[in-house]
Amino acid sequence: MSEDADPVYLDYAATTPLSPQVAKRMRDVQENAWYNPSSSHQGGRISAAVVALAAEQLAALLSVDPTSLIWTSGATEADNLAITGTARQREHRGKHLVTMRTEHKAVVDVFRTLEKQNFDVTWLDPDADGHLPIERLEAALRDDTQLVSIMHVNNETGAIQDVAAIGTACKKRDIVLHVDGAQATGKIPVDLTNLPVNLYSLTAHKFYGPKGVGALFVADGTRIDPLMFGGGQQRRLRPGTLPVDLIAGLGEAAAVAAVSMLEDLEKLSELKSRLLAGIQDIEGLNINGPVEGGFPGILNVGVDGVEGESLLLALEPLCVATGSACNSQSQEPSYVLRALGRSDLEAQSAVRFSLGRPTTPADIDIAITLYRRAVGKLRKLAPKAVVQ
Amino acid sequence: MSDNPYNPAVRDCFSDPDHAGIVAGGVEAFFEDQGMRIRLSADVSEGVIRELRFLAWGCPHVIAATELFCRQFEGRHAAELEQFASDPIMQDLAVPVEKTGRILVLEDTVRSLRAAIKDQLSTTQE
Repeated sequence: MSEDADPVYLDYAATTPLSPQVAKRMRDVQENAWYNPSSSHQGGRISAAVVALAAEQLAALLSVDPTSLIWTSGATEADNLAITGTARQREHRGKHLVTMRTEHKAVVDVFRTLEKQNFDVTWLDPDADGHLPIERLEAALRDDTQLVSIMHVNNETGAIQDVAAIGTACKKRDIVLHVDGAQATGKIPVDLTNLPVNLYSLTAHKFYGPKGVGALFVADGTRIDPLMFGGGQQRRLRPGTLPVDLIAGLGEAAAVAAVSMLEDLEKLSELKSRLLAGIQDIEGLNINGPVEGGFPGILNVGVDGVEGESLLLALEPLCVATGSACNSQSQEPSYVLRALGRSDLEAQSAVRFSLGRPTTPADIDIAITLYRRAVGKLRKLAPKAVVQ
Repeated sequence: MSDNPYNPAVRDCFSDPDHAGIVAGGVEAFFEDQGMRIRLSADVSEGVIRELRFLAWGCPHVIAATELFCRQFEGRHAAELEQFASDPIMQDLAVPVEKTGRILVLEDTVRSLRAAIKDQLSTTQE
């Protein structure tokens, strides 16, 4: 195995490249609209217009009013602001919060911190496919429940939650619903006008925009406390000078996604089917997550008798994720897959293939060849006692 | 950017484990700990290790370490196994310190192999 071989990238759930239109737009803004958008002079007004256009582009993608969007540094900050900001704002009403065990670390760690601050958190388990049964949520809601936070598309399994049903359950009890939409925005249709969602987090780099910028949708009438102080920008909810070029890139990425989304989804479905068809006859192969109906850009599989770290090295030059994608240095089995009922060994051998707009059928064929070869090699190398 | 966790020696031993397999009818040793499992088998005649093969389940460093051990000791006198220690292999492969326990599984397997070879030799001499 050579480190010099060209990588075959199938880790688009981790991050995506800039789309050419986005890169062009950002270069233009960097050269011509680099002013502080809060300044009242002509330069400031030029930059403010860039930010306003980006808000309109993102608002159009999500079917919301542009004034409902707060720019952040990414989804992690948006999640922190939404969850902690809501918990603090509504603390006087009650301290019960609800989330799932399969959330991203950007959500899990916020709730862990709130638990240390004497908030009472209920951690809901998914079903075997990764979905949240609505009756399980309803049973967890209490008179003092203030916030429910559920991710739209799971980053490891591709499971898509029924946000409409979850939102309806929350709305009739006056509970704030936050949705982490980092893996959904720009990838699947999201109509926040018709979804009962109070807060929706997103980040640009998951849908061909730049890293370092995201947004939080705050529905009209939803109140949250700020986490940072230091200026009056963005309704005092998130002060700081706006990164105009990054925001322009996010807006352009949203505009591109609005046009290409249905075509992207169709292509991803075909590629995922091709990938699955190429490996599904491998003995002992398990699909982690929904077999049907999940986001077509993600396929998470595991096999018996193979050690995860060795599998990842044997797969080179294929760039895929194992364990937790956002913490791939860790050799701990994925807590998301453990929550789905997988054993430590099963979770550790899991590989997440995530496909994207640039993925070609040739990439998939290479992935099939490398995966079959790697599994075969490691199984042959393993002492018989290990193959279960 | 994260550091590359595998040096060229690990990559070479992991990707081309020439000594993977089993010596049919050879002396065998198996050890399991820390989630790692190693099986060594050897053809020993006139006190010399003529052939050394392994099977392993573990991380790339464990597989590479076992392959490297086989490369180093095949063709040598069985008595030299007494000198085996995992430190030099850990240095050659730049094994992270947190994986020390895993490499010690190899040391334990080699110790078992050494004992098995001694048993065979004593049986032969009798």
